[in-house]
Amino acid sequence: MAENERPKTHEALKFYFTPVDPPRGDELNPHAKATTYVPEVVEALKERFGDVIEEVELYAGEHTVRVRADKIVEVCRFLKEEQGFNYLADLGGIDRFTDEGRFEVFYNLVSIERRKRIRLKVRVEEDNPVVPSVTSVYRAANWNERECYDMFGIRFEGHPDLRRMYMPEDFEYHPLRKEFPLLGIPGSLPLPPQTPGGPLTYDPFARAHGHVPPPGFEEPPAEDEEVSEH
Amino acid sequence: MSTAPSLVGPDRHGLFNFWPRHNEAIYRRLETKHAWLEERHRPPGADGESDPLEHEMILNIGPQHPATHGVLRCIVKLDGEVMEKCVLDLGYLHRGLEKVAEHKTYQEFMPYTDRMDYLSPYSNNVAWCLAVEKVAGIEVPERAQWIRMIMCELARISSHLLWLGVGLMDAGAVSVFLWAFKYREEIYNIFDEVCGARFTVSHSRIGGVASDLSPTAIAMIRRFVEEFPEELAGWEKIINRNKIWIDRNEGIGVLTAEEAIELGVTGPNLRGSGVDYDIRRLEPYLKYDEVDFNIPIRTEGDSLARYFVRMEEMKESVRIIRQCLERLPEGPIRNDNAKLAYPSKEEVYYSMEGMIHDFLYTDVGVCPPKGAHSYHAIEAPKGELGFYIISDGTGKPWRVRIKAPSFSNLQGLEYMMEGAMIGDMVILIGTVDPVMGEADK
Repeated sequence: MAENERPKTHEALKFYFTPVDPPRGDELNPHAKATTYVPEVVEALKERFGDVIEEVELYAGEHTVRVRADKIVEVCRFLKEEQGFNYLADLGGIDRFTDEGRFEVFYNLVSIERRKRIRLKVRVEEDNPVVPSVTSVYRAANWNERECYDMFGIRFEGHPDLRRMYMPEDFEYHPLRKEFPLLGIPGSLPLPPQTPGGPLTYDPFARAHGHVPPPGFEEPPAEDEEVSEH
Repeated sequence: MSTAPSLVGPDRHGLFNFWPRHNEAIYRRLETKHAWLEERHRPPGADGESDPLEHEMILNIGPQHPATHGVLRCIVKLDGEVMEKCVLDLGYLHRGLEKVAEHKTYQEFMPYTDRMDYLSPYSNNVAWCLAVEKVAGIEVPERAQWIRMIMCELARISSHLLWLGVGLMDAGAVSVFLWAFKYREEIYNIFDEVCGARFTVSHSRIGGVASDLSPTAIAMIRRFVEEFPEELAGWEKIINRNKIWIDRNEGIGVLTAEEAIELGVTGPNLRGSGVDYDIRRLEPYLKYDEVDFNIPIRTEGDSLARYFVRMEEMKESVRIIRQCLERLPEGPIRNDNAKLAYPSKEEVYYSMEGMIHDFLYTDVGVCPPKGAHSYHAIEAPKGELGFYIISDGTGKPWRVRIKAPSFSNLQGLEYMMEGAMIGDMVILIGTVDPVMGEADK
């Protein structure tokens, strides 16, 4: 499909005013929390899973562990059952918009007893974005995975109910992907008529897309107002 | 088995049958959803016979039903008066906030957060500002932190007051609604004095707050914290001994601690089940580690427990505000680095540099390092509200993930509804206290 084709680059800011520094993990962050710094859990993960752990990041005192996508359920089960991370606070997708490893899914896990927080990440390719579902470990992941599927089109294998979360099933796109335009795609979704008895609306931002909205949209002139003729 | 009902009413020639596939998928889900309750009612193997006394029916409640507190759509399968299965349909208020955030500078997105949990806009502002400050490493002056705390706790009281009034109105008591709104009005007047807006305040700024508290505002807050606890005690006297309220809430929507954690429920709903999870204690932000307050917890896990938790929370909020007012230090209210925070209006109007800084900050704003990503959560009235921001080194975030507490809580609601009576549905929605602006993003 021509309109589904990815533009070569994303729209960058026209103007940069500061040189960009890479983030440094050793910097002191005024908002860093003790809960997110979990070297002992990272060590335990490395010891147990070895090269399944692809990358460990530290920024603002937060540990992020990137693991291989096919092992995410085992890693989550290990964290839940042996490390006490029993609460899944959040799960979501990231579109990196790169050729390799385009999508990421992150898992924000909390251990309520140990008062610790850790973030896991997995990376999947664009042509086959499939991640094993962690709903068998954390039931709370159900809706979050649905939302991630809705917004990014990442499919979760083994999910009991992989429907869209927000958008209707009739919608064919995944809006949080970078190639999806901010104003939407005209004609992708029928919406209520803008005037009573009018036709269905297929583009809520007609004027922004270069079309003229239906004429009935404007208010009729008031009774005492003179209609100028020219 | 039942299929998707045909829509009754005047024939609109298919004009208003939006999204047929969407509805089909929901009804299919309702059919295939596994609920233990159903098996108890209909033992396996008894499928062939149809019982003439069977009162099965599929009921759509919402999205326009007033008791759903917004645009929540519940599709329930009833057996008599018992809700056998429930499927919640979200997204009727979906505005794509996460997508919008990717196209706004950090400061520009802040007014959008007002529209998330619109019952406590100040908490959302603070949550967003703290998240940006964390990813960019911006320090906030002391005074601004205390001001933010005061306003956050006022927002919590305001949100809980609405929950109380509307919750009791759902149960049939209208007078509490009027009393609660009288004090919400007071809080709105305070917001008006402090921020110039009553509802969508947008008062917090990255690196501080927009304006200082005026002496009038401080006097108003003082008067509020003087009067409000007495009034609250008066309400408690009448509500805690009200047989209708107690009977309608006791043992309704029970979540055990394990279930609540498993379902990812957050906020007062989680604490009502006996789990001590409060971000103000888990990872203290602002100055919460310096004030003395309790985290109310109940172990029953039913609707009544959540009621008590929220009532206690309001009292604790008043305590926090009192301590904040006592300890409010003098000093600047915004970070003084022009690359990190807005200059004050005096600087903008009376100095060239100030104007340039203001312009640059509006145009580009704060630029966290490329590849930086961090998550910051606060304890909003509804629960853990967090923002996970990924920066690409420009003035606009590459990705913003909103962890909305109402979203997590609604997942618990779907579970609570199954097996409850249809008459308790309104109470259950009230007790979870969802705000659809936040759940739908």
